[in-house]
Amino acid sequence: MHSPLDGNQALRLALARPESMTERTPAEWTVLVAAARETSLLGTLWNLATLAGVAERLPEPVGRHLYGGFLKADRNAEAIQWELQTLQSGMLQRLDPPVVLKGGAYLLAGLPNASGRICNDVDLLFPRADLERAESLLFFEGWGTTHHDPYDQRYYREWMHELPPLEHWRRGTTLDVHHNILPETFAVRTDPVRLLASACDLPAPWRYRVLRPAHLALHAIVHLFSETEWDRALRDLYDIKVLLEHFGGRGGDSFWRDLVDEASSLGVTWLAAYALDCCEQSLHAGVPLEVREALLGSRITTLKRRAARPLFLHGLNTRASATPKRDSVARALLFLRGHWLKMPPRLLARHLFYKAFLAPKEDVTNSRTDPAGGGVR
Amino acid sequence: MTLIDLGESTVQERLRGEGLILKTGPFAARIRTRIPVVAAALMQVYQDFPVLDASAFADFECHLRRPLTFRRWHRPQVLFLADGRSVFKPLPLHQAFPVLEWGMNWCVANQVHDRLVFHAAAVERNGKALILPAPPESGKSTLCAALVASGWRLITDESVLFDLRLDEVTGPVRPVSLKNASIDVINDFAGNVMLSDVCRDTLKGTVAHMRPPSSSVDRADEPATPAWVVFPEYRAGAATLLKPLAAGSAFMQIVKSAFNYPALGRRAFHRTADLIDQADAYTFVYSRLEEAIETFDALAAGR
Repeated sequence: MHSPLDGNQALRLALARPESMTERTPAEWTVLVAAARETSLLGTLWNLATLAGVAERLPEPVGRHLYGGFLKADRNAEAIQWELQTLQSGMLQRLDPPVVLKGGAYLLAGLPNASGRICNDVDLLFPRADLERAESLLFFEGWGTTHHDPYDQRYYREWMHELPPLEHWRRGTTLDVHHNILPETFAVRTDPVRLLASACDLPAPWRYRVLRPAHLALHAIVHLFSETEWDRALRDLYDIKVLLEHFGGRGGDSFWRDLVDEASSLGVTWLAAYALDCCEQSLHAGVPLEVREALLGSRITTLKRRAARPLFLHGLNTRASATPKRDSVARALLFLRGHWLKMPPRLLARHLFYKAFLAPKEDVTNSRTDPAGGGVR
Repeated sequence: MTLIDLGESTVQERLRGEGLILKTGPFAARIRTRIPVVAAALMQVYQDFPVLDASAFADFECHLRRPLTFRRWHRPQVLFLADGRSVFKPLPLHQAFPVLEWGMNWCVANQVHDRLVFHAAAVERNGKALILPAPPESGKSTLCAALVASGWRLITDESVLFDLRLDEVTGPVRPVSLKNASIDVINDFAGNVMLSDVCRDTLKGTVAHMRPPSSSVDRADEPATPAWVVFPEYRAGAATLLKPLAAGSAFMQIVKSAFNYPALGRRAFHRTADLIDQADAYTFVYSRLEEAIETFDALAAGR
């Protein structure tokens, strides 16, 4: 007998070793399902259980939740592909094929983390010079900007790595138009030309490109490890793990060498070091020791890494946790860290001052449902 | 073990501790709260419902608590948390029990994707289900409560579940939610129903919940074949009128009541079509409950 796992432990174990799902007790499943629901990983678990041949052996109500998550993800994938298809056959044909990022890329490239994964928006990367043109072309197809406050417009256009998110006026789909993978004001500046230059064409019928393997993995890494909100972090970490193992398994040493070299060229070795450490600690990712050591290099001392580790590991926890207090402290610190990295101190102070005192007040409870509305009678 | 077997003090203890796992048809909800009134309210309307022990699986994680702000004490409020996240705006503390009911409805509407979930009531007779999808204020719950009081089995007052493979409907049998004038109407219509204490000044006005008959609770796992889809509309003073509805219109109307239609895409489309193919669709205008019951009894008897 083992002592019962909390939702996080059980979820991490299920992601790292899917066949372990048959060992869970019903009470462990309660918190495991809750943790997977919170991180949108139900469909991923169903896919993993199916691949491991244990899906039929799951308790019936548990299987239903995982399968339901998979159906939802399946429909989501169909909708994202439809949206990408529609975009590529319209005005964007006047530009060079953009690079599709994140969920859309995993889906179109048929990567193993795509199955069961929910993707909330479409992300495209254009060369900076094409950005304005892309925005106006998309406007004619019904894509309009979402942030109408002039400050927010400036925030995105001057300081961020993307336009203010576009939204389709009829379908409500969100489209993020990027020109880089990290904000212009971030602690390090990544060179988008490097990313665009070596992006690969996707097979027909797709008229998009994807980042080359090392860049794809590094984008997933910098995205999570520069993030201020760690709400679905475990899903993002799982993406990193799968990408590393997938490309590492196929490309072997040449992939790992490229990963280390490109991390250094893009100036994100330190983020990659944290990411690989977390993947190893949290999800037992198969990353060769020498790769991790190569990334640690000079900038991160063992002490610094050891100190940062609990911060990330607690930040990765869902609310189905045995350590809720430490997790919220970690989430708060990661929020501060994310902002600290995002902008230099003076700009950050100005930004926070604006958001705290000058910005038009948003109703913070708006995101939550009114129980009398929305048909929830 | 049912709630009444367990007794209010044990129910209270479980709510405060590791959680009370309440089984409502196909779903089990683990409820945790330190708000005292909840146990008493659960005893009123859920007394015949099974309670699972702590080692069982629970589909939903439901937590009811006061906010951590000054509203904890000053004009106190209540929050409903699903998987540890607050899903509604805070509401006055005295509404804790209705908030729990709405919260559990929210879980079914938002966390179930392996079957089609319709915002509708359903009752059963002779294995056949009468499905009543309807927008608010249409008198769906009143009609449902009256049918149940007249001997139909309650499948659900709120969320009809249609399996993606088998042609059967089930539902989480739960108390019927009655609002404002409906509360007195049902009290007058059927002397034998047990209602919870009324809760005033909620977003929906005054609400009370009707305890489902124990026979409906005992048969909570029993599926039924969809036979009739009826869109009810209460209209004061109107004559009772049951009118066949074309399949296409019925499809378009019931889609509006499907919570997870967008999430399931083409599967939802085909299954909704299957449902409408199998069942006869009607619109139903009524003002007098007695006549409404006669109409549906006749429908069930094939008259």
